[in-house]
Amino acid sequence: MNQWLDDRLHISRLNDKFLRKAFPVHHSFFLGEITLFSLIVLIITGILLALAYEPSNSLVVNSFDPGTATKPNLVPAAYHSALKINAMPFGDMLRRLHHWMANIMVAAAVIHMMRIYFTGAFKKPREINWWIGMLLMIFAALTAVTGYILPYDNYAYNTVKVVYAITASIPWVGDWVAQAAFAGKFPGDGIIPRIYGYHIMLLPGILLALTGAHMLIMIKQKHTQPQYAKRLAYKKIVGVPLITQQTPIMLILALMFTGLVMLFAAFVPVHPVEFFGPPSTTPINNIKPDWYLLWVFGALAIIPSFEFHLFGGLIGAEFVGALVLPGIVMGVMFAVPMFDRTDENQYYAENPTNHPVRLAAGVAFMAMMIVLSVAGYKPELISAGLLTTANANTILWILTFIVPAVSYFAVIGIVRGIRALREADERDALAHAHADD
Amino acid sequence: MTRYKKQDPEITRRKFINVAMGTTAAVGTVSLVSALGTANPIFRLTPDKAPPVKGDVLVHASESKEGQPIKVSDLSDQLVRAWPMGKDKDGNNVIRKGDPNNILALYRFPKGQLVEPTKLDATVDGEIVAYSDICTHAGCSVSDSDQGDGMKCPCHSGQYDPKRGCKVTGGPPPRPLAQLPIKLEGEQLVVADFFATMPYPFLSETEWEKFKKEVEEQLA
Repeated sequence: MNQWLDDRLHISRLNDKFLRKAFPVHHSFFLGEITLFSLIVLIITGILLALAYEPSNSLVVNSFDPGTATKPNLVPAAYHSALKINAMPFGDMLRRLHHWMANIMVAAAVIHMMRIYFTGAFKKPREINWWIGMLLMIFAALTAVTGYILPYDNYAYNTVKVVYAITASIPWVGDWVAQAAFAGKFPGDGIIPRIYGYHIMLLPGILLALTGAHMLIMIKQKHTQPQYAKRLAYKKIVGVPLITQQTPIMLILALMFTGLVMLFAAFVPVHPVEFFGPPSTTPINNIKPDWYLLWVFGALAIIPSFEFHLFGGLIGAEFVGALVLPGIVMGVMFAVPMFDRTDENQYYAENPTNHPVRLAAGVAFMAMMIVLSVAGYKPELISAGLLTTANANTILWILTFIVPAVSYFAVIGIVRGIRALREADERDALAHAHADD
Repeated sequence: MTRYKKQDPEITRRKFINVAMGTTAAVGTVSLVSALGTANPIFRLTPDKAPPVKGDVLVHASESKEGQPIKVSDLSDQLVRAWPMGKDKDGNNVIRKGDPNNILALYRFPKGQLVEPTKLDATVDGEIVAYSDICTHAGCSVSDSDQGDGMKCPCHSGQYDPKRGCKVTGGPPPRPLAQLPIKLEGEQLVVADFFATMPYPFLSETEWEKFKKEVEEQLA
């Protein structure tokens, strides 16, 4: 049968090209795989959810609490179907699994990206894959945001309202763009069908295409080799082949990981639609976006109010805080490979301590993201008495710049220390080597 | 013999293909853009989506009491949310909640506490005041602050002072909440006029003026 298949599909060529792809043996190389497994589980659970979900914001009678004949209890169909999903056997768990998986996918992608950054794996020839990875991050976040609008509870309603307002804040074209993107003035009759289309067709399609490109380029360019490969066989690819060694490892990892997230889903509740209730005019106190958008939220919370007109367009705090600032942050991240001026191809993952400026800049960047995320907790910080309404913005703004600066110099200092110790070790070793003579 | 450049009377194949490709690309792009236009549905101003207009009765917005006219005794220095309720063409009552931006915030403060820049002649006896309850920043519904005085938007910590015309006292909102002129007719609170300033989501006074005209024409 092998022969028969090979005659038709040229499996042996596929085998040489793809199935024998060598995977480096180091745990940090599993981060990308975890992201991939999350995506696969997300698609499977997403299909199951889509089978029971009703993408409509038309009002229907809530079958769980129908009200009276004269005053029926009307809720959006999407919200009602979320309640029905919760009532299915394991339905609530399915929703949580989908939600947790999405969070973990973004987390795995972020850590994967940190690994790439700190080991210099974004350098030539892998710049394109860094950029594709950035696009994957952005589209993953968009997919997640459209995803938590779908249950159309009060939380989702407030979220989509803010997203609509941010879109509408683009100067000149904002109104038109927001109405085109969200099916008319908020909340249009077709807003949920539109977002459903984004969440199950458009964005997953983009994610899958980008993931395919990401992995094909990775297979073509090969992984960066871990440091031990340099000592083992210089400029040779070292690792275990996809078939047969890497595959069982991947399978075990995928199953263990899915099992772990399943446990999470079983015991840790998330996004309780019953608690938030159907869309209403009563705001949810201290509403927050998911953790990976908290820094944008924090920036919006501490940005001062301003507005000015430019060529007939209105530029306000919302546009600057929610689109310009993240645009700059994303731009800097996109530009990372361009800061590297070496012309040679990168074969080996670098030791971060050998590149203190890159390491320190990365740590400072993350510190800034964390401070801005903490700024998202401004109301809680004020309630807890740590800050006052009067000084909160000032203090948080100062911290936004001081903490990254301090962490930058701290990292440089620590790296110097490590180097000094290393050099002392080498001197020591050298001295003893002489003594041995 | 003179050197001359050969003049081909006919268009070359390469040139033809390039021009043809360019033309189809242009036509294709334009047609795609026109298809994109369908993404933006037409807005129809129906009575339930109209903003609060003169003569609308203010009714409770909270789920348990929705639709009941608000009485003076229901109000205090704690926020009460209200919808404007008008009439449709057949004279039936219609709560204008088709546009969530119509939600209103009502307060009643002891005499003398409401001060400028609140428009005092648009309040009831300088005691009862109505504002748009939609934050001018990102359009969330604003609540009473859990940190003492005033109002706070839960979305990005915008703060307003309802006693002083809902001016911004903290956070990113660019403008105060729009005040709605109201008056007392018998037991009922009634809208006296359009919002005094442009409410969310309007970005310029001209747009708001245009919309007011449109509303007047539609509902006349």
